[in-house]
Amino acid sequence: MASILINLLIAAFMGTVLIGLQRKVMARVQMRPGPPIIQYVLHTLKFYLKETSFPKTAAMPFYIAIASTLCAIWVTGIIMGPVTQGSLLLIFGIYAMHKIVEHNAGSSSGSPYGKLSCVRAVFSASAELPLFALLIVVYLQTHTMIISDIITYQSINGPLIFSIPLAGIMFFVLLITKSHYSLFSITKGKDIISGYETEHFGVMRGYLMFSESISWYMLLWIYLTVFFGPLSLISYFMGMIVISVIIAIINAISPILNPNHSVMFQITCAFIGIFGSIILMII
Amino acid sequence: MTELLYLIYILAFVIGAIFGLVLSYKKYSLPFVIEKMDNLALTISIIAWILLINSSLIQFIPQEIIVIVSLFLVSLIIGMRPGYGRKETYVGIIIAGLIYLLRLLIGGT
Repeated sequence: MASILINLLIAAFMGTVLIGLQRKVMARVQMRPGPPIIQYVLHTLKFYLKETSFPKTAAMPFYIAIASTLCAIWVTGIIMGPVTQGSLLLIFGIYAMHKIVEHNAGSSSGSPYGKLSCVRAVFSASAELPLFALLIVVYLQTHTMIISDIITYQSINGPLIFSIPLAGIMFFVLLITKSHYSLFSITKGKDIISGYETEHFGVMRGYLMFSESISWYMLLWIYLTVFFGPLSLISYFMGMIVISVIIAIINAISPILNPNHSVMFQITCAFIGIFGSIILMII
Repeated sequence: MTELLYLIYILAFVIGAIFGLVLSYKKYSLPFVIEKMDNLALTISIIAWILLINSSLIQFIPQEIIVIVSLFLVSLIIGMRPGYGRKETYVGIIIAGLIYLLRLLIGGT
């Protein structure tokens, strides 16, 4: 229990600091001073102190349940990931749930922006393609889905990034997709205000932001675990900082894509990743 | 135990940054327009970075405590009002890095 709580707090705080760092780096690349690194932490905490109001158009109790579900699935993610190092399949199930929650959070509020975000969430389900492709490639290479076994495999055979590099690149595209202000973040494009979060206020918004921080931490954790093998906690943190900075630079210099282009790009990456990796394995 | 220690490190960083933000808004009433270094912030930054990168230099205090204090001080400067504390941080990192290299060259730990 203590281990779950500690890992949850690490994920929440580290995730928020990494998102803040990403915003800072993006701002510096764009020649702006940018917000303080802890802006996202303050932002999240602020929403817990604000009054929670509910839109008249909200589909109750679905509207409340969806924000709580997002929190619950990421707590499960922490348990299945850093705490027990369980099945990779379950973690990707959690990501699929995240997509469903993203979709439903948009539709449950009744806001037109939320609804548009909801439609885009369905449309951009292709972003999950690299995830499923990755599962196949990793399984073909290691013959296991258990994270602890994948770590053991890497401690014997070396990091997977060298044996299945295309899968690594494919997952990196997924990291960019899930990052804030990315060229693929069509569900939260500024043309639809804050996307599915637009009409979530107070504690509800706090829950969503808290879950997003954990989700970002978990994505980076999975990437480092699956591709770079057994790492110490400090190596994880250093790796997360480096990846966040690289992604921030990419996001800072690239405009948000049109939803059609975003989807096509992700599908193309998934195809190249999966077939390229299988061809490399055969050769 | 290691995880708890790292949680404390993260919390020290976050709390330091919050303090830095609050204090800097009290100290500097204007946005960052005059690009001048603050001597107090510079001193804190240099001490903090030296302690963080060369924490093994001080033997009589447990290393974990040095890291916690130095992370708090580092984030106190990094977390200042946008624009402020940036140059001070660069100077702190450079001086601490030079001391670290010097230690490597003379074979110290």
